[in-house]
Amino acid sequence: MNVAVMKTKSEQTLSLQAAERIPTLPGDKDVRRAREAALAVFEAAGLPHRRIEEWKYTDLRALLKDAASVTPQRSSDVDSKLFDLTGTKAATYVFVDGRLITKPKDHTIAGVTVASFSDEVSKNPALLAIELPETVDAGARSVIALNSALASDGAVITIAAGAAPERPIHLVFIASGAVAVRNVIVAGADSESTVVETHVSPTGAARQENAVSDVTLARGATLHHVVRTEAHEGSAALAQYLVRVCAGAHYKPFQLTSGGGLSRQQLTLTFAEQHASLDFSAVALARGAGHVDTTLVVDHAVPHCTSRELFKTVLDDRARGIFQGKVIVAPNAQKTDGKQMAQALMLSPDAEFDSKPELEIYADDVVCGHGTTSAELDPDLLFYCESRGIPEVEARALLIESFVGEAVEKIENEALRDALMSYATAWLRSAA
Amino acid sequence: MLEIKNLHVKLADEDRVILKGLSLKVPKGEVHAIMGPNGSGKSTLAYVLAGRDGYEVTEGDIHWNGESILEMPPDERAAKGVFLAFQYPMEIPGVAGLTFLRTATNALRKKRGEPELTTPAFMKLVKEKGDKLNIDIEMLKRPVNVGFSGGEKKRSEILQMALLEPTLCVLDETDSGLDIDALRIVSDGVNALRSKDRAFLVITHYQRLLNHIVPDKVHVLADGKIQKSGGKELALELEKAGYAGFTGKAA
Ligand SMILES: Nc1ncnc2c1ncn2[C@@H]1O[C@H](COP(=O)(O)OP(=O)(O)O)[C@@H](O)[C@H]1O
Ligand SMILES: [Mg+2]
Repeated sequence: MNVAVMKTKSEQTLSLQAAERIPTLPGDKDVRRAREAALAVFEAAGLPHRRIEEWKYTDLRALLKDAASVTPQRSSDVDSKLFDLTGTKAATYVFVDGRLITKPKDHTIAGVTVASFSDEVSKNPALLAIELPETVDAGARSVIALNSALASDGAVITIAAGAAPERPIHLVFIASGAVAVRNVIVAGADSESTVVETHVSPTGAARQENAVSDVTLARGATLHHVVRTEAHEGSAALAQYLVRVCAGAHYKPFQLTSGGGLSRQQLTLTFAEQHASLDFSAVALARGAGHVDTTLVVDHAVPHCTSRELFKTVLDDRARGIFQGKVIVAPNAQKTDGKQMAQALMLSPDAEFDSKPELEIYADDVVCGHGTTSAELDPDLLFYCESRGIPEVEARALLIESFVGEAVEKIENEALRDALMSYATAWLRSAA
Repeated sequence: MLEIKNLHVKLADEDRVILKGLSLKVPKGEVHAIMGPNGSGKSTLAYVLAGRDGYEVTEGDIHWNGESILEMPPDERAAKGVFLAFQYPMEIPGVAGLTFLRTATNALRKKRGEPELTTPAFMKLVKEKGDKLNIDIEMLKRPVNVGFSGGEKKRSEILQMALLEPTLCVLDETDSGLDIDALRIVSDGVNALRSKDRAFLVITHYQRLLNHIVPDKVHVLADGKIQKSGGKELALELEKAGYAGFTGKAA
């Protein structure tokens, strides 16, 4: 039969919701027209499904059975324990249900401007459009189109050339229902800064977040981009990071994702100019029926760039972890140095880890490699700890935390590193 | 007192029998050496004392302070004072040495009904014990044993022993891989712990260590049993004659 694929229930709901919401969202009529065009793109493609190679393990048509409803903003929902980063002196911006509701009191940091996306897109309609590199797959395009249609707010961060703010800029996204947020980060030439994103939801909330961060590093910039995402059972967090790195710039993302719900963290990075680097580490923790997907596409389009990735996944119960890492080395991209390691710690025989590293190398003078391991806790190490008087339960926790700690250690800001490790530890120890 | 009675041990998932009726008594306050050829079961004995999985005791018993320890999990044995300095100390990537030491120290203090140490008190203690073993605090900020030389690993085992204050110390080939200076540091560390309340079982392949840690008794382990016991001069005899006289029977 020559019939278009039937729309799923959640696709239908998403379309209806979007048509209703678009007129209420920020931006003038040009923005509105762009949103409607984006919605049409989403409607034509639908939610990513398993027949799209990059979404084979994370079939959103199957996994998102119901579209969450759009909850009206309730600022009273803010529980600062959800996003606390004590000790980091971070300048914190809190977005609740897709709207900026709190700015830091002392929000002037030299060389840093943080504006709300809703204000900025009203002034500059072009901000809604994102130029997508070819390396973005069809499924991601559809999700990003839906984000363009519905993005209500987010942060537009500009780090001035040469600025080196010490305080991290912390964006907090708390949502109880369907929400789309858009961040734009531009790290100016030779600047060095830290941007933290926290994506959380109140326990039990059927939150569905579609977040897109559009990131540009100008020449010589260093950006530490730390993201913590919680996806509780019954909630979903989809995030797309689109990163363009110019000459001599260093992008250093860290991601901590935890939960018993659904998450997909997808980073698409393009080395646009030479002598730049990516140093990416990530931790994914899941239990229950949790589904954590980390997908990465690195395009070495030019010579002399370095990419390093370290992914740690801890899976318990029936949880499923997915790691997809594609590294493309263009024919002229000589002297590319790319190394990738994905490791999973399996705490239950029913957990599943799928790892799909892909190297597409078209240049000949390159050093590229990848490795995947999947293992249980080492009984010899457990014995070593226990023989020192550490009870088994604690020894297990210590070893799991050490596994995770190797990735967390990559966060250079000590207070931030400690804060992220505390979140990881608290989550791991909350299993009973 | 440590009392090993007619101990028979086989590998849990193979038919191989390693220890075939080993008996031994080590009173508190004494240092006993166990010597024997490679593969004679010295490490097996050490592991069975510490409670490692993978071995099955088919006959016999082990008593420490009048109580059988065979049914106890390793951490409970540690609480009763059992400590094994490993022949091959393990590397624990991602766990800082100090974290490991503090977790172990406080876990044991808790089990022994003592209050946990505060961070400053703990740091002071580590520094004091570490200084004696030539172990710098910086080294302990690194993951446990990762990237350590053979000698550093052995010294770190002895540091753990000094901190955890066990009463039954089993040292499995602590001398292997040590140069003469490291051997002296390690031996001094062990000798400093000798007391009337502690029993030591020092396993070694060579007599050299026993010049520094002078034993009260020496036992020869071969063919899964103690073949001969004597004073410290027995070690010197073995050094000259080798183990041929004992292993010959196995053929
Ligand atoms: N876990 C094990 N698995 C297989 N073989 C083992 C194991 N432990 C010990 N053995 C075997 O038992 C014998 C005794 O080993 P071991 O106790 O290490 O001797 P020693 O320490 O005296 O050199 C050796 O033949 C060794 O290969
Ligand atoms: Mg041995």
